[in-house]
Amino acid sequence: MRLLTGLMLGGILATGALGAALSQTRVDPATGAPIPGAAAPTATTATPTRRPGVAVLNRPPRGGQVDWRAAVGGLRQSGGGNPAPNLNQAAVDMTRVPILLPADNDLTAGARIYSFGDYYTITADAPGVGISLSGTTAVVPLPAGTPLKITPTGPEGATSQRTVDGQLISFVRYGVLYTVEVRCDAPTDPRCADDNYARGLAAKTTTVVMGAAARAAAGLGG
Amino acid sequence: MRKLLILSPLVLALALAACEDKTTPAAPGPGGEIKTPASPEPGPPTPDDAPSDGGAEQPSSEPNPPAPGPPVLPADPPAPSPVSFDHNPPGVMPNGQGHGYLDRTVWSPAMCWPLQDAAFANSQVYGHGGGMGPAGTSQCDSANYSLPWRDNFCEARSRDNPLCAGGGTGHQGQDIRPATCKKNQYWAVAAEKGVITDIGSYTVTLVGSASPHRTYRYLHMQMAALSVKEGDAVVAGQKLGKVANDFGGTPTTIHLHFELRAGVAGTTTDGKPVVLHTFLPPYMSLAEAYQRKLNGTAC
Repeated sequence: MRLLTGLMLGGILATGALGAALSQTRVDPATGAPIPGAAAPTATTATPTRRPGVAVLNRPPRGGQVDWRAAVGGLRQSGGGNPAPNLNQAAVDMTRVPILLPADNDLTAGARIYSFGDYYTITADAPGVGISLSGTTAVVPLPAGTPLKITPTGPEGATSQRTVDGQLISFVRYGVLYTVEVRCDAPTDPRCADDNYARGLAAKTTTVVMGAAARAAAGLGG
Repeated sequence: MRKLLILSPLVLALALAACEDKTTPAAPGPGGEIKTPASPEPGPPTPDDAPSDGGAEQPSSEPNPPAPGPPVLPADPPAPSPVSFDHNPPGVMPNGQGHGYLDRTVWSPAMCWPLQDAAFANSQVYGHGGGMGPAGTSQCDSANYSLPWRDNFCEARSRDNPLCAGGGTGHQGQDIRPATCKKNQYWAVAAEKGVITDIGSYTVTLVGSASPHRTYRYLHMQMAALSVKEGDAVVAGQKLGKVANDFGGTPTTIHLHFELRAGVAGTTTDGKPVVLHTFLPPYMSLAEAYQRKLNGTAC
């Protein structure tokens, strides 16, 4: 598992490096294909670095960087259904990445999903706290000269960041970047004082849901 | 580094006032039926009240800022951007206020200037009237409402900000004061086309429709009279709410705290690959967006 995740992370970073190398050419976010004649502004040493190019992780075949085999395994372990039927089905169906939900019916019962295909975010509420669960295959490569002062941990490269109003957890599963964000109304709320609550929530996001687009990409049919 | 052409705040305000006013809400966006009560319907602005000098912008539970160290500069700093108004270089922190950062990427190159009018990017904590500013001063001091701009993305805070030098902590966004020291008067607008995905007690989150789906967070608006609610699709430049000092009961100055985030792939300071959603410095994107606004270019 550790090796597999390492390979997945490596794949993402390799794609990111490729995206950086190709950053002078714009790509179609939907397909990852170069857009003819749509050259991005040229970066030179005389101007700040401009980075409109995106390291789109979806590559053929079938979504490329998404590890659909592992995702389908997760889907089957989840029972294959949708434990949150209240989520807008059209938004679920247009999402081209596996959707992760926490095993927490109270939280998912009132949740709302917003999807852009290669990115989705689910907004949920609990008393005094707002929660966002997001997933995407679109990441931007950082310049090599700007390392990040952060420590990824565990097989999924999890990171936690304290925000102005809460905690932000990131991790990579099935080749997809997932985030769990917790926002507290009260600055003294213990759920935001450290990352224990947010990490616990991330650990509970084990239910895999796939809409029509994801099922098609995974070879499961619509 | 500063440019020679210095425009007065009045000129800036006049130039910006001529820009397009986008108030028509867009059609409902993708996904998202709303099951819980959204933000209150927009109501009449609350009367102006005397601004209080707070400037904390950090919860009382947050420890004091970490001990500052020397500012950092990139080994080969790029030339300044083609911005004609007076602004300090990106990533540079005054001594004793944080470590700065090296990145000079314009992370949102087509971004719309997120206010309708002229404004002043600077530090509200270390500025006049701020919690760590000159003693006995007011947030309404003219020093806070004049050029040059200054970057405070990596200003000393205990919050995580992995791109910042030193301990990887910092402010995570850019503070922007509105045109004058009055709250509930100046509109904050959408930085790009997208969907309002969350409204918190003092935060509004906008996710861009276009890849890489940048996340913009607007803090300290007048939350009781927002022009948007969760699930709204917005166009670039659309009014979101008015700049205020809402902070969940904690005092702060009148300003917009503006954050830019995205999923990034990079390397840690100890050489490990990492993929995460994190904060990106918005200063260069803001400066270029502001210049476009001054030039009369529509968002």
